[in-house]
Amino acid sequence: MLKKIKRNLKIFLLFSYQSLKNTTQSRQALFLFTLAKILRFVLLFGLIFLIFSKTNNILGWSLKQVIILYLTFNFIDTFSQVLYREVYRFRPLVISGNLDLILIKPYHPFLRVLIGGVDFLDFLLLIPYFFLLLFFILKENILFLSFFWYLILVVNGLIITTAFHIFVLSFGLLTTEVDNAIMIYRDILNLGRFPVEIYQQTISFVLTFIIPIGVMITFPVKSLFNFLSFKNILFAFFIAFFLLSLSIYFWQIGLKKYQSAGG
Amino acid sequence: MINVKNLTKIYKIYRKTGNLINDIFFRKYEDVLALDKVSFTIDDNELVGFIGPNGAGKTTTLKILSGILYPTSGKVSVLGFSPFEKREAFLKQISFVMGQRNQLIWDLPAIDTFLLNKAIYEINDLKFKKNLQKLTTILSAEKLIQKPVKMLSLGERMKMEFIAALLHQPKIVFLDEPTIGLDIFSQEAIRNFIKSYQKEFQATIILTSHYLEDVKRLAKRLIIINKGKILYDGSLVSIFQKFSQVKYVSLILEKEIKKEALLKIGQLINYQFPKAVFRIQKKFLPKVIGYINNKIDYLDLVIEDEKIEEVIKNLLSDHK
Amino acid sequence: MRKYLFVFVLTLKEYFTYRLNFLIWRIRVLISFLVPFFLWLTVTKQIKNFTGYEEKSIISYFFFSHLLSYFILGTRTVDITSQIQNGEIINLILKPMSFFNYYFFRDLADKILNFALSFLEIIIFFSVFSFTLPQLNFNFFLPFLSFLLIGLFLSFYLNLLISFLSFWSTEVWAPRFIFFILISILSGSFFPLDLLPKKLFSIILLTPFPYLFFLPVKMISSPETLINKIDFNFLFFMSIFYLTTLFFLSKILWQKGLKNFSFWGR
Repeated sequence: MLKKIKRNLKIFLLFSYQSLKNTTQSRQALFLFTLAKILRFVLLFGLIFLIFSKTNNILGWSLKQVIILYLTFNFIDTFSQVLYREVYRFRPLVISGNLDLILIKPYHPFLRVLIGGVDFLDFLLLIPYFFLLLFFILKENILFLSFFWYLILVVNGLIITTAFHIFVLSFGLLTTEVDNAIMIYRDILNLGRFPVEIYQQTISFVLTFIIPIGVMITFPVKSLFNFLSFKNILFAFFIAFFLLSLSIYFWQIGLKKYQSAGG
Repeated sequence: MINVKNLTKIYKIYRKTGNLINDIFFRKYEDVLALDKVSFTIDDNELVGFIGPNGAGKTTTLKILSGILYPTSGKVSVLGFSPFEKREAFLKQISFVMGQRNQLIWDLPAIDTFLLNKAIYEINDLKFKKNLQKLTTILSAEKLIQKPVKMLSLGERMKMEFIAALLHQPKIVFLDEPTIGLDIFSQEAIRNFIKSYQKEFQATIILTSHYLEDVKRLAKRLIIINKGKILYDGSLVSIFQKFSQVKYVSLILEKEIKKEALLKIGQLINYQFPKAVFRIQKKFLPKVIGYINNKIDYLDLVIEDEKIEEVIKNLLSDHK
Repeated sequence: MRKYLFVFVLTLKEYFTYRLNFLIWRIRVLISFLVPFFLWLTVTKQIKNFTGYEEKSIISYFFFSHLLSYFILGTRTVDITSQIQNGEIINLILKPMSFFNYYFFRDLADKILNFALSFLEIIIFFSVFSFTLPQLNFNFFLPFLSFLLIGLFLSFYLNLLISFLSFWSTEVWAPRFIFFILISILSGSFFPLDLLPKKLFSIILLTPFPYLFFLPVKMISSPETLINKIDFNFLFFMSIFYLTTLFFLSKILWQKGLKNFSFWGR
């Protein structure tokens, strides 16, 4: 068992190393790219300050809380892009037929198509994002227990995002018609940039209980400030487990229905 | 080693009608029968050639045997495993090379992919070194492994693909159109390589190809498949016995004979003194040879089978 | 002229061949509308007057912004990059029709389709969630029309310019991405630009972004709030300035690009 973990880790590291080698090949463009992302981050951050310059609470959320929410969103969003960047390249893999050559290798295809393309540039951004988040949290008087539940729920949120990425992969096995399935997930995730309560009730409900973006982002932050009921925490765990199992099941079905490309 | 019984595979294809409304709202899906109750057995150390026109089911068969596709019905057993389950122990013993498709990492030298495969297939250092050396020697590719793959020609790339695929000494090697798109020299090199490989490593090799030359040179056993059905499964030699009705008789004449006289022998294909070529039905051959011996003065007589391309072409068009 | 109409119709047809992709695209458009809309709605519900915006005017702003932004920004010029890289562009150049006109009509198809669908979707959205439809302000109709046309062509030439960069580099996705980010923040799709403090707003007015769709949106929804703050002539001058600059730049890059262009065979 330990041997298997060691081997999988070795393969993962090899893939990541290759990904790093590939990244360093077009440096100028990537520098501009990163600059643009930082710009967007700073501008939206500034927008939050602008809003709170005229009021000190929005639907019960204070400036500090909205900032922590925004930073938590940023962290989860960036983290999943860093780890699961390869999902964005899945469709060309299917269309070219090169996916077949991955399926016959003696390792789980997820090692390659899910986490085989670690994005190092975003990883570099992740570090300052992480410290910024930590800074704002530590500024508040947070109980250790609340922080503990916050961390658990953030990890829980990462499990949900993993499930979403696996859904996208399964979808890619079933049809090559859609070229932007992963982008629709990103758009939906973006709805979690701000507290889920700002949306109209129905949408807010959907975002909490059906496509649980609210569970991924709003819940951890709420628990940090002791606004989350235990019932909701349980629900968060349940939905993460449910979605992960469902996504893996869909992947198995996708493999059976997979018709491969060309002759 | 490979056991296939009543294997059937049906694809669902969406047919575009060109009518915009229909294509959006009332799509029709068609069932395409790619394999129709196919059965065969392949033993250790065999080299089998699959031939058939496009869409015959060759690649589908290989993809099912390797576990990529899920069979619609029937029994498939490879090395005692059910391929689709993709058990690690199974995958470590097989390999698949598809012409014009790559497992090599595009931007890096081939050696990097080899090292990756070493980790994936858990090949120990000694074995890795030994196999790498053997393979690069047979392919005369020692210098190529350090060049970035994107800078290699197609022929050179295929050589690297072969090495990457065979480093772990698989028991079964699937080759799908391995020489497609290659120039004559590269084709020759690959063919020789496959022959040497099998001799050296004693693997079972299953090969599909459009190029009959591939099959003629390599395979002793031939499976001809068309429209999902096996038309012939047997040795390359006995295909003539079974399906060919015709022999070609070439005569080198001693003195010039009028064409009309030659026509009495049989169907005259070509006559340019001193050589005359006839196409004779097998059943008439003894009679014809007798006649020639009695009535014609010749310097040389050669009896040949028709070309295998002809045999197969006729076989396939009979089953259209 | 007929051939361009054909190009127009053909572009529309292309959209419908991948129906699932099409559906997902429309869903994405709607979802990306939700964030700024509900954010600012919530804010203006709480703060009754946010730099001149209240609930009603915010709803009105986003209604028109949604319609017009896709109309102005919709483009097919992204295809140019791949056409340059795989050599397909040669086929277009050899045809007896103007490249610029060809892409203009392709874009027009994209814009009109975007507009029609956005219109349908937002009407449905507003009725489902019981928002009252905003009123059109016709007091400044002529300025509205002029800024709309200027914005249309401005966007067209700007998009062409970015695509023409592919003549010189294969890494054109980076400038396009930056351009996309700048537009999403500075053009008014995420928040009304005049929400910003006056100083910042003045700086943004020196860039080409507000002249894309922000001005026409203001002219048709709440022009008075803008006119009180900024000199109208200045706005007009800036937009024309950028339009002519980008027009000439794109023509120049096109000529230069064709000269530099070496089609490396495949």
